[in-house]
Amino acid sequence: MSLLDTVITIIRVLFAAFIPVCFLAVMVWMERRGCGFIQDRSGPNRANVFGFRLMGIVQNLADGLKLAFKEDVIPAHIKYKFYYVLAPVIVFTIAIVSFASVPFADALVLGGKSYLMQGIPTDLGILWFMAIVGFAVYGIILAGWSSHNKYGMLGGLRAAAQVISYEIPLGLALISLLIVYGTVNLTGIVQYQGQLLFGFIPMWGVVLQPLGAIIFIVAAFAEANRVPFDLVEGESEIVAGFHIEYSGMKFAMFFMGEYVAMFTSSAIIVSLYFGGFQIPWLSTAFMVEHTRLVVILLMIALPLLAYLVVGWIRKNNRNRFLPRESDPDVFEATWYIRLLWAAVILLELVLLIFLIIGAGGAAARILAACLQVATFLVKVTFMCFVYVWVRWTLPRFRYDQLQRLGWQTLIPLSLLNIFITGAIVVVLS
Amino acid sequence: MSIDIKTVERKGGTPQERVYLVEVFKGMAVTFGHFIRNFLDNSKLYVRHYPEVEPEITARWRGRHRLTRHEDGTVKCVACFMCQTNCPAKCIMIEAGERNDGRTEKLPVRFDIDLLECIYCGFCVEACPMDAIRMDTGIYALTGTERDSFVIGLNELLQSESPFTDEEYKKGSK
Amino acid sequence: MLVDLLYTCFAVFSVLGALGLIIFRHPMNGAMSFLITLISIAGLYALLSAKLLFALQLIVYAGAIMSMIVFIIMFLNIQPEELPAEKTKVIYLVGGAVAVLPVAFFLIKVIKRLPNMPISFASEGFGGVKEVGLIFFTEWLVPFEIVSILLLVALVGAVVLAGKREKNK
Repeated sequence: MSLLDTVITIIRVLFAAFIPVCFLAVMVWMERRGCGFIQDRSGPNRANVFGFRLMGIVQNLADGLKLAFKEDVIPAHIKYKFYYVLAPVIVFTIAIVSFASVPFADALVLGGKSYLMQGIPTDLGILWFMAIVGFAVYGIILAGWSSHNKYGMLGGLRAAAQVISYEIPLGLALISLLIVYGTVNLTGIVQYQGQLLFGFIPMWGVVLQPLGAIIFIVAAFAEANRVPFDLVEGESEIVAGFHIEYSGMKFAMFFMGEYVAMFTSSAIIVSLYFGGFQIPWLSTAFMVEHTRLVVILLMIALPLLAYLVVGWIRKNNRNRFLPRESDPDVFEATWYIRLLWAAVILLELVLLIFLIIGAGGAAARILAACLQVATFLVKVTFMCFVYVWVRWTLPRFRYDQLQRLGWQTLIPLSLLNIFITGAIVVVLS
Repeated sequence: MSIDIKTVERKGGTPQERVYLVEVFKGMAVTFGHFIRNFLDNSKLYVRHYPEVEPEITARWRGRHRLTRHEDGTVKCVACFMCQTNCPAKCIMIEAGERNDGRTEKLPVRFDIDLLECIYCGFCVEACPMDAIRMDTGIYALTGTERDSFVIGLNELLQSESPFTDEEYKKGSK
Repeated sequence: MLVDLLYTCFAVFSVLGALGLIIFRHPMNGAMSFLITLISIAGLYALLSAKLLFALQLIVYAGAIMSMIVFIIMFLNIQPEELPAEKTKVIYLVGGAVAVLPVAFFLIKVIKRLPNMPISFASEGFGGVKEVGLIFFTEWLVPFEIVSILLLVALVGAVVLAGKREKNK
């Protein structure tokens, strides 16, 4: 193993382990501020460190600290303490491990060797995700069962029935997709989506498989136990479902597990249907060949983008009720703006050095990989926002409606989709 | 008397609604409109930034209690125990003493209200025959570091003034 | 070295899990220890670089079938006092072990008699989705289709059984 191998392995593992955890903070923030904005409220925006509120992210820090320092209670009536403690661990671990096969950049060719940019460089791809994510339900079942509480039990039962029945449309939607792509390897799937349909439409999965995309997204929502399929924890009828007896850090594990699972399924949806790390109309080969053009475009786009963001920060960081001489909000905003411009100048300098020294093959490829990572993260963030957006729009399904949708609508539709896809693939080849 | 039967029209039966997705996207368009409007300009939020901006309180709003006085500054309360008897939370504690100014026979020498017990129902105000106790001080934020600081006595009750005039109080609004 | 260690771990855990399935009294404990067996077997497949089998073992057996069984255990919600006494359990265990012992000796003897084969690494792509699929649809097409018909029959049977009970109500 050369030094390069080790470095790449470390980067892979760090990315696969830390990005989901970092996104946790972003997603909880997005959920709370996002739902606030959807409901014309402002959401939590008061917690601060030395007057800096970071648009409300500091609130997450405060909540995290509170959960971490809470007493770790195991209720006295719980008989199977082992399963009770194991359940949140399963949920959280499974959520993180299932992200391991998602590629965050195109295969990186360095020193004549090709490196798959995934947490675990396996070609199992989507099968890995399917294999691991099926275990998450054990966490929920064990939590519901070992809580020894009727609400917990009902929540666990609902979760098990729901996940088992929605795995079928999920898998069937996947089959029609695999017929199109001809591979299970996620890097291969995303590379396939880098082509252009009729020469101008990006060949994303959602264009090739619109019905499959809808089925998969609906089933993925159900698998992640998110609204409108979150009757596992329907607070109006079963209080909090499977995590009713949990508190403190053990509850936090469930909470984080849910958000990491949301992140992972967003990443999978993006990889399968929305082109993954591919930048539309900019393939990896094109970026490596025309590095100078890409760099110059970036150098122009960055300050423009920063200018817009600065305008937005100025506009939204002043207290319109109490015009004051030294408004702390304005003080905060000036610091953010300074930091933003500093970051932009730094990036511009790096790009300038890159432009002057000249783009070698390896440097160009690393630049392309960085751009792809950024694209991937932007897409995943948007998909996570869709999760939040749907949650604060749709009401919860009733249990029979959920099962009817799964068995009587999604499964026949996905079977139909397989036949149509198969026929078209056979005709076209 | 016959029972009126009203047939409620069941909605959601049209093919477009049964497909569900169209309606989902419509709903999502509505929420996204709200989101993007508030995201781009948060001055349009329908919220009051509370510590900086205080809510407007009408004369009918039941805030902290106060004891009223006659024009010459003497206590209106006659220590009749109506409020104490009527209080569902049992938070009023009155001790009566002899009154020597010729108005009535009694006056309170002690009038304690435990604000932690009080449920702000306003029954004491309703019960008072002398209009001696009112809840129109407009004080709604009560904080303290000790329990004892929430038990307010005669002096505090007498000292608080109402931000409203008598006409406003009787009318119920400004 | 690592491979040997992993192999030992998986082998030991798969046997222990199977033992637990028989010995544990509460069905949930039994199901969980059987789950360990299934996962260890998936690990053994992975060590044999049978990637597809590894994934299928996890998806189908550990993921779907076992969660169904656990679901049913939870659905019935058996309390420890409701379980049968199982007074003869020890006798059955010992008796079973005694009965199996000669077979085990026989098997060990057979395996020792096997000629030594040179160990070679699996070729690139062995056990992948494509390779297994090609073998299924070229060399083993007829058994594959027969098995699929069998599954279809089971599916129809399940539907018929489920429908019948509804009529009786």
